[in-house]
Amino acid sequence: MSAAARAVDVWKVYGVGEAQVIALRGVSLEVERGKFTAIMGPSGSGKSTLMHCLAGLDSVTRGQVMIGEAMVTGLSDAGLTKLRREKVGFIFQQFNLLPTLTAEENILLPLAIAGRKPDQEWYQTVINTVGLADRLSHRPSQLSGGQQQRVACARALASRPEVIFADEPTGNLDSRSGADILSFLRRSVSEYGQTIVMVTHDANAASYADRVVFLGDGRIVDELHSPTAEAVLDKIKSLDLTVGAPE
Amino acid sequence: MLKAMLRGLFAHKLRLILSALAIILGTAFMSAAFVSGDTISKGFTDLFSTINEDIDAQVTAKSDVPSLEGGGGEALVTKVVPQDVADKLKGLDGAESVTPQVVSDGARVIGKDGKVVASNGPPRLGGAWPANINEDPNLELRLGTGPTAPDQVVLSANLAKSAGVTVGDKVEIITLQPRRTFTVSGISGYKGGRDSLGGETFVYFTLPVAQELMLGTTGVYSNVDIKAAPGVSQETLKQRAQAVVGDGYTVRTGEETSQEQASGIQSFLSIFSTGLAVFGFLALFTGAFLIFNTFSMLIAQRTRELALYRSFGANRGQVLRSVLLESLLLGLAASIVGLLIGFGLGWLLTRLLRSTGFPGGALVISPWVVIGTLFAGTIITVLSALAPALRASRVAPIEAMRDAAKPDKPLRRLTTFGLILMAVGIALLILKGTKTLEDNVLTLGGGCLFIFIGAVMVAPALSRPITGTIGKLVDWATPGRLGVRNTGRNPRRTALTAAALMIGVTLATGAGVFASSVKAGLSDIFASELNADLILQTDFTAGPTAGFQPALMDQVRQIPGVSTAAALQTDGVKLANRDEFVVATDAKAAQTLFTLEPREGEIRELNSGEIILNDGFATKTGLKVGDTATMQTARGEAKDLKVIGILASSQVVTNPLISPADASGFRSPLAQQAYIKVTDPAQIEPVRTQLKTLVADNPEVSVSDPSAQIKQATTFLDLMLNVLNVLLGLTILVAVLGVINTLLLSVFERTRELGLLRAIGMNRSRMGWMITVEAVLISVFGALLGMVLGTALGITLVKIFGGNFLKLTIPWGYLIATLVLAVIAGLIAALLPAWRAARLNVLQAIAYE
Ligand SMILES: Nc1ncnc2c1ncn2[C@@H]1O[C@H](COP(=O)(O)OP(=O)(O)OP(=O)(O)O)[C@@H](O)[C@H]1O
Ligand SMILES: [Mg+2]
Repeated sequence: MSAAARAVDVWKVYGVGEAQVIALRGVSLEVERGKFTAIMGPSGSGKSTLMHCLAGLDSVTRGQVMIGEAMVTGLSDAGLTKLRREKVGFIFQQFNLLPTLTAEENILLPLAIAGRKPDQEWYQTVINTVGLADRLSHRPSQLSGGQQQRVACARALASRPEVIFADEPTGNLDSRSGADILSFLRRSVSEYGQTIVMVTHDANAASYADRVVFLGDGRIVDELHSPTAEAVLDKIKSLDLTVGAPE
Repeated sequence: MLKAMLRGLFAHKLRLILSALAIILGTAFMSAAFVSGDTISKGFTDLFSTINEDIDAQVTAKSDVPSLEGGGGEALVTKVVPQDVADKLKGLDGAESVTPQVVSDGARVIGKDGKVVASNGPPRLGGAWPANINEDPNLELRLGTGPTAPDQVVLSANLAKSAGVTVGDKVEIITLQPRRTFTVSGISGYKGGRDSLGGETFVYFTLPVAQELMLGTTGVYSNVDIKAAPGVSQETLKQRAQAVVGDGYTVRTGEETSQEQASGIQSFLSIFSTGLAVFGFLALFTGAFLIFNTFSMLIAQRTRELALYRSFGANRGQVLRSVLLESLLLGLAASIVGLLIGFGLGWLLTRLLRSTGFPGGALVISPWVVIGTLFAGTIITVLSALAPALRASRVAPIEAMRDAAKPDKPLRRLTTFGLILMAVGIALLILKGTKTLEDNVLTLGGGCLFIFIGAVMVAPALSRPITGTIGKLVDWATPGRLGVRNTGRNPRRTALTAAALMIGVTLATGAGVFASSVKAGLSDIFASELNADLILQTDFTAGPTAGFQPALMDQVRQIPGVSTAAALQTDGVKLANRDEFVVATDAKAAQTLFTLEPREGEIRELNSGEIILNDGFATKTGLKVGDTATMQTARGEAKDLKVIGILASSQVVTNPLISPADASGFRSPLAQQAYIKVTDPAQIEPVRTQLKTLVADNPEVSVSDPSAQIKQATTFLDLMLNVLNVLLGLTILVAVLGVINTLLLSVFERTRELGLLRAIGMNRSRMGWMITVEAVLISVFGALLGMVLGTALGITLVKIFGGNFLKLTIPWGYLIATLVLAVIAGLIAALLPAWRAARLNVLQAIAYE
């Protein structure tokens, strides 16, 4: 089975000369299809950078990135846009939704942008799974933070993308809302075969994943499969990686 | 503290530039108008005092009859100084020299093309060549010799050039007499290489010929110029001359003469420069909306920053002062730039006018223009920043901790207040608008202003429903839908941006409705009341002395196929102590031609000493049938006229009618118009041909017909409307700046959101599309508001001015064109913000906080 996304010896350098920062130093990673992958690491270790490169939001300095069969590296802006539209879903930490659109419109936005008709059956499934059926006509300002993140999840899922990238999706939520989101992401992987890559600081969040990849100073330093929260915490300790507090 | 807050202003300086641009445009236009007006006006004053250098007192005959030209000096001399009065002045005590002059308007030269050489405004003077040209302080002979025989003339250099003639050529000239042929004996100019003083042309005859042709009879003068002996003051000379000539004559000092001569031109100039300044002010007013919006947005964005200052202990006054100081600095800086640009524009304008013959020297910059412009620009900026500044001062320290995005305040109070204002305005119009116009300019203006301000306040409540409805057109695609939603998201901001556009569009639409109603009214009148098939028409630029002999009508009536014909001789007189135009004509024929009905008395052919009043004049004066009214004509004696009839209201005849026998004192013995009815339509063309041969030798008279007249009036109206719209374009330009400004700021505010859209797959062109939809919606909204208000304004104008002379007509084509222009304006306004949005760096946008 081929990887849903793949990075091969990816380097990312910001700036030049004195101000140069090497955010990624030769990262190679295969994101397995139908699996839930978590990326952990201390603040500034390059998690977001890696995710942006994988998702076609940022270009790499060296190396290659692929999503499914498609080569990401070297695409033009138009090509990247098309790729994101067709193959990628996003969940950010906050400000995920357009305030002028209702929950339902936000969920269907990527499909609308792509000019695709939603698959009604799948749409209903998604709505029911995230438990938003009675909130569809609300504006983001009328929803709680947790509900907003659920709408963001539903949006990412609605177009059944090749991969969903989530950057600290529970970073701004209390533990209960966070748990809701995580179990929802977990279900969409287990039950519907969705591929998800999630950046997180939280060992507990990471424990929902099938696999945890640890980043340190721009390099992959270790990984865990089918982790428990304790196992993740132990690993962090043993790697001597100080986990930054969520912002 | 203040320093730190002011630094906030300069951090946003790029965003302030657009609003500054609005102030710059307005102040530049205003100061350019005033500066060029002053410069030209000074030029004329200087010029006239040079010309009148040798005149210490000037004697003219007194005239009670109103000038036809509005201003002080009328170039057409109708009251003359007879020889004996001139002779009495000879040897006046304290006079060094006494020079009787002949100069009057109305010497029209026929050019090589057979047409009369046009002057487009300045007079076409004719007069006597000075007895001794070498002693003349101003005039000089450039070529040839002075006129020595009755058939010789000297032409001014500019006239010779436009007529295409030179010394030795034959030239035909129309004066009070029909065309006559002369030989050009010389070409004249003014000393210092000047061809004319202010674009006027001059024909010099020998003295007796000038007297006969320009003043109507030999042995009379237009004025007597007196030069004082050394040591005699102008005032003394004036008093002595007055004592000699008596009450029937006006004596002015040389200085007064210069002022009198310049005043006509200056009143024209001041209308011109005030007009331009009004448009500059309108642009400033439009700019006020832009500034209000900019400051509101900047303050909304800086809420946290300001709250931070407040939490550090800055008090409300400090915050208020800092914002007001920002606006003061901005307004002052922009006004200074505008003023300087205005000077440049003014300089260009005076150069341009000078090349067409206007006088002018160095730019005249009066301190009042500088102070006025700076004051207007600055005060408008500060006033429009006041409300946002007050809001800023109410920012509570706690807001530093809160999320900047606050829900909108409800609009109900604003809308209610706006509706009340509009109601008051409408009430003012209804209550007062039923009276005559003159008494109520203030009430009407106030009413319109109330309605306008009310509309601005109601606009936010309308913005969402209206843009939402128009938005249905672009709702089918995601970028369109998002654009519509964004437009509805901040109703105040959308409405204010649109309101700036509304100003210009309101005025343009109002003018459009008025113009089209005038046109429709005219056609209606011509169709219903005018019973003529052909018209003899004198070129209305030819001046008050152009026309044809009324006796020509005898020949017209002889033409086979003509059933009725009447010539109209119109002139301004003093009638029953009022300035009024009267028409001398065959009233019996006029009754048929203009379908006149008597309201009182009768309509019949008038005898000398009789008058028929029009409805309006009778109402104004309260004169009844059987009463007498005294008429003073320009050249004749006062005469009592008996009212024999009063016309029922008519749209064609709006002046009293008198007998041609009583028109002998008119400025011109000629008729300006004739209306001709034929026996049957088949006769129109044969009669037209005959008429053409009759007037073939008169280049100022042409054969026309009602439809051609309508067309001419329509063309003229369209021209006026176009000029107005070009000037209103300035306010539209400012409004477009406003749309650009609003969108740039909102693109900036929405960086994060736009980044999100890009991340989930919206491409650049669709981002641009979305912003374009917003821009177009705002401008169309503004245009729609303006069109509704403007139509209302037009209707009000028509109702007030109109009576039934105007037929209310909505110019749909014009409105549609306005809408299309609004769409184009929106598209243009979208360019920069759309480009910004499309170029957005996705990653930075997402990371943006
Ligand atoms: N646009 C940029 N320009 C310069 N340096 C950057 C830029 N973006 C990221 N960096 C640097 O790259 C490194 C990795 O940043 P990245 O945002 O990937 O870290 P992270 O692991 O996501 O951290 P956090 O847990 O705090 O979100 C950091 O040292 C950061 O300062
Ligand atoms: Mg990060």
